Amino acid sequence: MTCNDLRDSYELYSLGLLDDEEKREIEAHLERNCAICQKHLKDALAVNALMLSQTPEVVPPSRLRRRVLASVGMERAGWGWVAAVVAACSLIVTLWISLEKRTADRQITELRGMLRQGNVGEHVILDFLNQPETRQASFGQGQPTPPRGNFFLNPRMGVLLIASNLPALPAGKTYEMWVIPKGGAPSPAGRFRPGPEGTATHILTGAVDSNVTLAVTVEPESGSPAPTSSVLFAAGF
Amino acid sequence: MFASLISISLALALLQVALVSRDDGDLARRLRQRDADAMRELYDRYGRLVYSLILRIVRNSAAAEDLVQETFLRIWNRMQAFDQERGALGPWVLAVARNRAIDYLRSTDARMSAGALELDHLEHPGRFCDFEDRALSLDRAQRLKGAFEKLTPQQKTVVELAYYEGLSQAEMAERMQQPLGTVKTWVRSALKVLREQLAEAAAV
Repeated sequence: MTCNDLRDSYELYSLGLLDDEEKREIEAHLERNCAICQKHLKDALAVNALMLSQTPEVVPPSRLRRRVLASVGMERAGWGWVAAVVAACSLIVTLWISLEKRTADRQITELRGMLRQGNVGEHVILDFLNQPETRQASFGQGQPTPPRGNFFLNPRMGVLLIASNLPALPAGKTYEMWVIPKGGAPSPAGRFRPGPEGTATHILTGAVDSNVTLAVTVEPESGSPAPTSSVLFAAGF
Repeated sequence: MFASLISISLALALLQVALVSRDDGDLARRLRQRDADAMRELYDRYGRLVYSLILRIVRNSAAAEDLVQETFLRIWNRMQAFDQERGALGPWVLAVARNRAIDYLRSTDARMSAGALELDHLEHPGRFCDFEDRALSLDRAQRLKGAFEKLTPQQKTVVELAYYEGLSQAEMAERMQQPLGTVKTWVRSALKVLREQLAEAAAV
């Protein structure tokens, strides 16, 4: 086909909608760095961008901004209000201590627990994601009630998990992450609990084989040496 | 009518800011340097558009929020490959957002399997550079909208199925219960009308 024969195909090509034969034809033209085909591609990308931008505007929830920034290590997702609640609770707890020490001790423990839920520091996340050898595997797409998110694996640094839509845990249970080498048994990779919005970050530090599957199960609060329930979500590298 | 024209103009004015901005290069440079304020600025500039687009495609607000997060994370992780001198952030961000949403749709209805890799290849940041000066201008956006409104119902349907549902022409034919050849004619004639309107805008 000539460059002009392909003129009507670049928008579909850029949208990933051509069949294999047409796609190969276009890519062969593009690889030749033909000026005409390169222009057709740019024109098509502009048409596509202008088309996609005609979408009627919907205002996203304000928590989404925090969540997006948290995912790249800029802010802690949804924790602004928690900090305020914790600060207020701390004041109450302080007052309460003078009245009822035992009750206050229990409340302080609970508050510490809340703070621990988001215990992966922003700088740690950022550092992890910035490493060129860090790879990403998503999970949860397509599930009806999905925990969704990403595992990030860095063979030198470990594994970072960022998850959302996590179901609330039954009493006495926790989430546990597993590293499963090819053909090997799962080894424990730490326990974590979700925040109030069902989000969680969890990190396993230390060298990790680059060819593993990562999985999460629900386990007794004290953790398990091997999974005792079915896999809630998993992704392979 | 007048009110509707005003609202369209306002929407398009916002759109122009969103898709092409003089300081894209500066923003890209700061993103590459992992500047926290730059990431906030990127979200403030494109977050609403990205969310609107993804929600239109997946029609599920919880999934849309997840996919917006994935979109910005992907942009952040791939920023080093973006050409800060010649690149246009808006088209790239939109392509990544649309592809994440289409990928999600495909996975939910068990359509196709190799598509994720294919879309990945098509949204490489190196592709989104060297646009002509007025390629993403307000005038062209207005013309495109006008041209779309004038398409036949069948042409509009196939365009929407391509952009917002990610259907191939064979899948459209099946969905619409029409011969593949007929669908291909609708698709190509529709895209040709849209493209020619943009070409006229460029020539004015």
